[in-house]
Amino acid sequence: MLSIKNLTASINGTPVLKGIDLEIKAGEIHAIMGPNGSGKSTLGKVLVGHPAYEVTGGEVLYEGRNLFEMAADERARAGLFMGFQHPIEVPGVSNAAFLRLAYNKKAEAEGRDELDPLEFDDFIHEKIKLVAMKESFLDRSLNEGFSGGEKKRNEILQMAVLEPKLAILDELDSGLDIDALRVLGDAVNKLQRPDRALLIITHFPRILETIQPQFVHVLSGGRILKSAGKELALELEDRGYDWVLEEAAAGGAR
Amino acid sequence: MTLAVGSNLIADLLSGPRPAEWEALRGEAEARLEGRELPTAADEDWKYTDLKALTASTFGPAPRATVDIAGHLLPEMVGTRQVFVNGHHAPHASCASAVPAGVRYFPMSHASEACHTLGSIGKGGAKGLFEDLNTARFEDGAVILVPKNLKVALPLHLLFITKAEAPLAVFPRLLVILERGAELELVEEHHGEGPYLSCPVVEVHVAEGAILRHERVQRESPEAYHLGTLRAEVGRGGQYHSRTLSFGARLSRQQPWVRLAEGAEASLDGLALLEGTQVADTHSFLHHAEPGASSHQLHKCIVDGKARAIFNGQILVAKGAQGTDAQQQSRNLLLSEAARVDTKPQLEIYADDVKCSHGAAVGQLDPEELFYLQSRGMNADDARNLLTYGFAADVLTHIPVASLRRALRQLVMARTQATSLGDLG
Repeated sequence: MLSIKNLTASINGTPVLKGIDLEIKAGEIHAIMGPNGSGKSTLGKVLVGHPAYEVTGGEVLYEGRNLFEMAADERARAGLFMGFQHPIEVPGVSNAAFLRLAYNKKAEAEGRDELDPLEFDDFIHEKIKLVAMKESFLDRSLNEGFSGGEKKRNEILQMAVLEPKLAILDELDSGLDIDALRVLGDAVNKLQRPDRALLIITHFPRILETIQPQFVHVLSGGRILKSAGKELALELEDRGYDWVLEEAAAGGAR
Repeated sequence: MTLAVGSNLIADLLSGPRPAEWEALRGEAEARLEGRELPTAADEDWKYTDLKALTASTFGPAPRATVDIAGHLLPEMVGTRQVFVNGHHAPHASCASAVPAGVRYFPMSHASEACHTLGSIGKGGAKGLFEDLNTARFEDGAVILVPKNLKVALPLHLLFITKAEAPLAVFPRLLVILERGAELELVEEHHGEGPYLSCPVVEVHVAEGAILRHERVQRESPEAYHLGTLRAEVGRGGQYHSRTLSFGARLSRQQPWVRLAEGAEASLDGLALLEGTQVADTHSFLHHAEPGASSHQLHKCIVDGKARAIFNGQILVAKGAQGTDAQQQSRNLLLSEAARVDTKPQLEIYADDVKCSHGAAVGQLDPEELFYLQSRGMNADDARNLLTYGFAADVLTHIPVASLRRALRQLVMARTQATSLGDLG
């Protein structure tokens, strides 16, 4: 589904990704872990086309297509999704109107029927149950005045509405209490299918108890230092990141 | 020797016969107008708003006219409307049958001299040129009086419509009095076609504990000048909330002047949507005269083409007005290279225990916001239009009259090219 080869990227001329290789197949759940400032979020943002980052080298194929030839909105309509760590507030645009618009843009791209406001009302009421969101949040302006946790809930609601093929979730657990994390983790699990894939970006292993990855990668200094199965997450919880960094440094010195 | 610019305009406007009633008030206004000239750019208060174009026309008296108001009716307010056409009351277009008993709601021409409240706000203080012109020459207008503790459930609807074939001048007048504990929602709309000058004056008295919510819609004709004055006096613990939405007129100016007594609350929100060569100017004055009052001001402008927006927000916190809370925000979106905004907060604070904040921003759409929408599948144009719409619609969100809110959202959608995005309810 996604094939990243020797990807390098920079922001304002400063290199942040220094050669990333990663293969994600349909049905897989991958976790990218690493210390703060390691480039985890950058990787996600580069994949979904954030304009602040410049891709300086390498190649990314998404379902066989060159990802960097697609505009950000095109990538979204082709099934790529990122749940952001800090979702943006958009005053004046109701959450419901925004969700319907996003849904319809994707439906249009896929040749499915668009939903009118009444049809969408039924549709969205099923979806908000999944993320246990209060109905009143639909009428409020998009993310405006939402708490950190409510914003995250709204990101997963958007994911549920758009049903992406590949969802990248950046620090989903930040701002969430334990119960909310469980609800959203369960929602994400329900959305996962054999023809879809997940990339979980997280500093803390906690979220990986609910959303269990088959593959865990440690990213630091813009490179993937170590890849293993989900047992790596447990090890990181016990031992922190330093040993991975030291091991990599030793390996590099050899 | 050249004639001073504008000397003709004022003289012309005063040349007709003085309308009946309010002799003393009109006489005082005329006396103040004696020798006054149109302000020029040398006048600090009019630095960015050029009135020269006004002198190119001779604005005659406004004849009675009939208009079709079907397109202006709002379902919540079919039985609570007073309509004025070319400054004259239009009894056949008006219908106040649903107004609850006790509320006095009638054309000013039916009011007697006993309405001594008229012109009483800021008495003795400086009056604006166009305010005095209105006082000297207004023909009619509306009087609304809500008695003590009466909470009016239905909003009242005032329509000021101008229809001009040749340049004419109208002077709409409005006097709103809320007695102690009274509550009212009021929608004041200005519409028109053709070339004209409208100089409305609105006077608002909110007594102790009373609450007035005032929606003001300016949709004058593209050839019109709209130079309006609002004076509001808010008593102890009273609330005055206004929202002024400027869409029309080639040149418009809003001058709200609000005085807050102890513990009073005011919000003065504004939105101007400008294109072509439109000019919209807001010069507001908020007077925290006593302790513990709070004011909130959000003024937004979207400026396209070669249009120009001006905002000057003056806040005066008097000596002894401790515990004042005053928040002012001026936010402006420029959609073209040639668009221009001049915004200036002007805070004068003579008390020491106050919470005052102000901010002004002029710019383009935020790339982070654009990206967020694009990351959800909207193309760049749609994302831009949706954000522009949202920037404006933000001011409309809390309009209590649903049909008005919808109609204005439609208007904003059309003006921000957001119509293709479908229902943004």
